[in-house]
Amino acid sequence: MRDALRRVSLGYLVLAATAVAYIVVYTSRLGRFPTSFDYLSILNTTLPLVFVAIGQSLVVLTGGIDLSVGGMVSVCVAVTATTVSSSITWLFVVLAIGTACGALNGLIVAYGRIAPILTTLATLSIFTGLGLRVLPVPGGSIPQEVRLVLTNPATPTGLIWLGLAVAGWLVLRRTRFGMRVYAIGSDEASARAVGVPAAAVKLKVYALSGLCSALAAVFYVSTTTSGDANAGNPFILTSIASVVVGGVAFSGGRGSALGAVAGAVALTLVIDILFFSGIDPLYQSLFQGLFLVVAVLLGTVAALAARRRRQA
Amino acid sequence: MTETSSMAPAQAEPGSETLAVRASGVDRAFGGVQALRDASFAARPGEIHALAGENGAGKSTLIKVLCGLIKADKGTVEIFGTEVSRVVEPAARRRMGVATAFQELSLLPDLTVAENLLLQDPPRGRLGLVQRRRLAPAAEEILNRYGVDDIDPRATAADLSVAQRQVVELVRVLAGEPRVVILDEPTAALADRQVDWLAGHMRRLRDAGSCVIFTSHRWREIESLADRVTVFRNGTHVATRDTLSEAEAVTLMSGRSFAGAYPQITTEPTDDNALSVTNLHSGRLAGVDFDLRRGEILGVGGLAGQGQRDLFLSLFGAQRVRRGTIAVDGKAVTIRSPKDAIRAGVGIAYVPEDRKAEGLFLPLSIRDNIAAATLSRRATAGFVNRGKERAVVKSIVDQLNIGAGRSTNRAADTLSGGNQQKVVMARWLLTEARILLLFDVTRGVDAATKHDIYELVGTLAAQGRAILYYSSETEEIAHLCHRVLVLREGRVAAELAGPVGDAERIVAASIKEGQDA
Amino acid sequence: MSSRRVLYALGGTVAVLLVGAILHPGFASWSSLRVMLVVASFTGFVAAGQMLVVLVGGIDLSIPWVLNGAAIVLTTSSLGQTSRAPLAILLALGVGALVGLGNGMGVAWLGVPAVVMTLGMNGVMQGLTLGLSKGLTCASCGSYAPEPLRGLFDGALPAQLFLWAGVGLFMTVLLTLTTFGRRVYAVGVNPRAAFLSGVGVRGVTVALYTLSGVFAALAGIALVAYGGQPSLGLGDPYLFESIAAVVVGGVSILGGRGHYLGVIAGSLTLVAVTTFLQAQRVPEYGRLMIYGLVILAILFAYGREKAHD
Repeated sequence: MRDALRRVSLGYLVLAATAVAYIVVYTSRLGRFPTSFDYLSILNTTLPLVFVAIGQSLVVLTGGIDLSVGGMVSVCVAVTATTVSSSITWLFVVLAIGTACGALNGLIVAYGRIAPILTTLATLSIFTGLGLRVLPVPGGSIPQEVRLVLTNPATPTGLIWLGLAVAGWLVLRRTRFGMRVYAIGSDEASARAVGVPAAAVKLKVYALSGLCSALAAVFYVSTTTSGDANAGNPFILTSIASVVVGGVAFSGGRGSALGAVAGAVALTLVIDILFFSGIDPLYQSLFQGLFLVVAVLLGTVAALAARRRRQA
Repeated sequence: MTETSSMAPAQAEPGSETLAVRASGVDRAFGGVQALRDASFAARPGEIHALAGENGAGKSTLIKVLCGLIKADKGTVEIFGTEVSRVVEPAARRRMGVATAFQELSLLPDLTVAENLLLQDPPRGRLGLVQRRRLAPAAEEILNRYGVDDIDPRATAADLSVAQRQVVELVRVLAGEPRVVILDEPTAALADRQVDWLAGHMRRLRDAGSCVIFTSHRWREIESLADRVTVFRNGTHVATRDTLSEAEAVTLMSGRSFAGAYPQITTEPTDDNALSVTNLHSGRLAGVDFDLRRGEILGVGGLAGQGQRDLFLSLFGAQRVRRGTIAVDGKAVTIRSPKDAIRAGVGIAYVPEDRKAEGLFLPLSIRDNIAAATLSRRATAGFVNRGKERAVVKSIVDQLNIGAGRSTNRAADTLSGGNQQKVVMARWLLTEARILLLFDVTRGVDAATKHDIYELVGTLAAQGRAILYYSSETEEIAHLCHRVLVLREGRVAAELAGPVGDAERIVAASIKEGQDA
Repeated sequence: MSSRRVLYALGGTVAVLLVGAILHPGFASWSSLRVMLVVASFTGFVAAGQMLVVLVGGIDLSIPWVLNGAAIVLTTSSLGQTSRAPLAILLALGVGALVGLGNGMGVAWLGVPAVVMTLGMNGVMQGLTLGLSKGLTCASCGSYAPEPLRGLFDGALPAQLFLWAGVGLFMTVLLTLTTFGRRVYAVGVNPRAAFLSGVGVRGVTVALYTLSGVFAALAGIALVAYGGQPSLGLGDPYLFESIAAVVVGGVSILGGRGHYLGVIAGSLTLVAVTTFLQAQRVPEYGRLMIYGLVILAILFAYGREKAHD
C-alpha cells in the first residue's frame, strides 16, 4: 500500500503543480489573483469529469476499462434535459438509468466473460443510440432551482457535491467491497481462490461506474443548461486521462479514485492555463496529450527509482 | 454410493463414518492434457492425509477441484456428505469450512499483509465500515496467535520474501480454524524451523477433529506427519495406505522400482573449458567463479533461492550482470540479451523450468514452437524456408520421439507435460548450442520422459556439449553430474566431485556453518 | 483454432449479405457490393494497423488524428497538383510512420501503457493538426487531393480495391511467411518466452506501432482522395471501428491470434450492417444500437474468454 500512496501522491503533485502554474499564469496575465468566481467556474465545469473519473477509476482498479461512459453520460444527459423540467423526481430515474446501463456492462463482463474493452465498446454504441433516440437534436433544459442547488454560479454549492463525492469514495474504500475491488485488480485468480466473489464485485463496480456517469450527466446539464446526445463522447478519453494522471495503475489494484479526482481537476486547469498564456486554443489537445504522457512517464520513473532503492 | 475399483482397502468402509472429503470418478482436462482421469480420493475428519505423487500426477488439479477453484469435467465431489460438484466458487467452499493454501496462487501482491489476512472478515465498526486503523493491529494479533512475530502486517505482500509470503498464506488459512484444511506443497518455501511450526498447527487441527490434507515432495515430512497417504500417478488414484515405506512409495508413484532410476554416467569430460565465469555478480549472485568443460555435466545445487536462477539467467543474457566476466572457449564475450547468447559464435541455450511461462507458445503449433529460436537460420531475405523448416523439425521430433509421430501442426497445448518439455528441448537443440543451461527441466514431467531426458543429457555430454544442470530434486544432481557446485547466499560454497550419489551430502554442504535457512 | 475464427468471420459476412439480399433486393448486387467494398477498404486499412498492435497485446488509440493529420498533409503539400503527388504521399506516410515510431518507442522502451501512450499521441497529433492548419483555415487548406488519387475510385473495378487487395497480400505474407511474422505471434502469445528465444521483443513492438501509423496515414490518404478535400474529425469514426473490425475478424484482443483475412471479413461485415440499416431507412439512433448489438452478438459467438481455470 506504500506503493499506492506514492502513486496517489504523484497525482496530487501533478495537481499542485498545475494549480501553481494556473495562479502564476493568471496573475501575470490579468495582474490580479484569481477570484472566487474563477475558482467556482473551474469547479463547476470540472464536476462532470470528476464523477466520470471516479467511476472510471473504480473499473480500472479491477483491471478493466469502461469506454461506454461516453454513451452512459449521453443517455443520461438526454433524459435529464428532456424530463427534469416536468418533474424533479426524474433526476432519480436518470440515476437509475445510469446504474442499469452500468450493470448491463457488468453482467456481460463478469458473467459473459467478454473483455471489458470490447463489451464497453459495443455498449457505447448502444447507449449513444439510445441517447439520440431520446434527444435527436441538441436542446432541452433544466429548471433554475435545480441549477442553483447543483452548480450555483454564485455560491459554492459545487464544493458540497465535490465533498460528497470524495466522502462517498472514502466510505466505499472502507467497506469490504472496497477491499475486494483492490483484491480483484491485484490478482483476480488469487482473489477468487481466497473466496472473493469476483463476478459479483465486478458487476457492482460497473454499475457504480454507470451511476457516476449519470451523476456526471446531471451536473453537465446543470452547467450547460441544455442537453446534447453527443455530450458524453469527450468523457471517454478525458476520464481515462484523469485516471492515468491520477496515478491509478492500468494493470489494476493500485491507486485511488481521489487521485483520479486530482487528475480530472488538473486536466481542466491545463486548459485554463493554456487560455491565460495566450496559446492558440487549437493547440489545446497537443498540450493535454503531452501532459498525459509526461505525467505517466514521471510516475514510471518514480516507481523505477523506488524499486532501485528497495533493491539496493 | 458406488465403490470405484481403484479405491484401496483402507477406504472400503465409507458408509461407516462421515467422510470429510470425498471425490470419485473425477476427470479433468486442460487443453489436450488429461490432468485427472477417473480420480478418487477420500479423507476423514481428525486425520492428516498426505497426497503423494510425482510432479504432474494430478495432485494440484485434484486440490483445485476439491476447493472449488475449477470444475471437474466428470465425477462427484462431496464435503461432509454434501454433494458440491456443481459449485465452482471457493467462497462457497470456505463457508462449508474448507480452507486451502495454494502452491502458486498465493497472496494478493498489491495488498498489505493485514489486508490479505482480513480480506474476508475485516474489523468493522459502526455502520459496518472497515476500520482501516484497526487492520494492522488485528492482523498482528492473528499473526502473534500463530506464533509469527517477524512479519510486519503493514508491509505490502509483494515486498515479502517467498518464505514470509508462504507463512502469511498459511496463517490466513489456519486463522479460520477450518474443518477441512488443504495445503498444497506448504513447506516447499519454508525453512526447517517454519516447517516444525506448521507441523505443530497441523497436528493441533487434526486433534481438534479437522481433516488436514497436504502434499509434499519431501518424503521425510510425509512419513513424520501423515496418518494416511494416498498416492496418485498419471492423474489417477493408485493406493491409499496407513503406512508406506519410501521405497514402496517411489515404486507406486513412478510405476517402476527404485533402483536404476538414474542412468550411469559413462563418459568423461574433456579438458577444454567451454565456459569460464569469473567474479559474476547478478541479482543475488555475489561473486561466482567456475569453469565448465566440454562434455561435462556440472550440477548446481544448494537450497532454493541461493542465486541458482540468477546464475542461469545472467549467463543467458536475460538478466543484467553487475560485474564479472564470462568467457566462451577462452574468449571473453558480452551477452546483453538472449539473442547474443544464441548467436552462433557464443552458442548458449537456456531451457527454463516453467515451460508454460518461459518456454512455450501454447496456442501455436509444435513446429512454430520448435523453430522459434532459429528462425533466421532457415530464412532467405526474411522469408521462412518452410520446406527446410518442416524437414528440420521433423528430424528433431523423430529423434526425441515427440507426440507419438502425429502432426506437428497441432497446437503445443494438446501435448502432455513431458512432450511439452521435449518440444522446448528440441527448440534449443536446433540452435546447436555448445553450452546448455538446463534449469529444472524435469519438473512436472512423467517418469518415462524424465528417463528420456536423463539419457538425452548423457548423450549431449558425450557429444562434447557442456551442460550446466540445476534441479529442484537434489537426487538428480547427485546422480547425473560429473561435478556439483553448491551455491549459498550467492557464492559457490562447496564443490563436490561426482557422481555424488548421496543427495544428503549436497544438502549437508548447502546448510553447513549453522545455517538454518 | 484461429483459422476457425477466420471462417466464423467470413461466415458472418456472408450471413449479413444474405439477410440483406433477401430483405432488400439488390443489396448484394455488384454495384452495391462495390460501394460497400470501397467503404470497407478504409476500415480495412486502419484495422490492418490496429490488428498488428493488437496481435502483441497492444492498442492504438492515436489512429483518428494520425489519419486526419496525414490527410491534411497530403492536400496541403500536393496543392492538388499531380506532379507533387508522389512527394505528398511519401510525406503523409512519413508522418504516420514517425508518429507510430514515437508510440512504439514510448510503449517498448519507456514502458508507458499502450492506452496512455497512444491516447496522448492522439492529443498531440490533434493539437498539431489543428494548430498548424489554423483549424483548417490555412491558405493551402482548401486544396484538393491530386487528380490521379481521386481516380482511385473510378471505374467498374476501382483501383482502390486493388490497393486493398495489395494491403491484404502484404499483411498475409508478412504475418505467415516471414520470420518477422513468426516473431509477432510469438511475442503476442508469450513475450517472456519470445524474449528467452532470442526475439527482439522491443524491436518487434516498435516496428508494429510504426506500421500502424503508416496504415492510419494510408487510410487518411485514401479518404481524402475519396472525398476530395480533408475535413476535421475525418478520422474520429475509425478509432472504434478499427477495434471492432479487428475483433469481429476473430483477432484475440489478448494478442497472439488472428489473421488479416478475418479482419477483411470483419470490416465488410460492419460496413454491410451499416449499409443495410441505411437501406432499410433505420434512423441513426437505431443504426447505432443495432450496430452495438451485432458486435455484442459476435463477441458472444466467438469472442469470449476462457472459463476460470
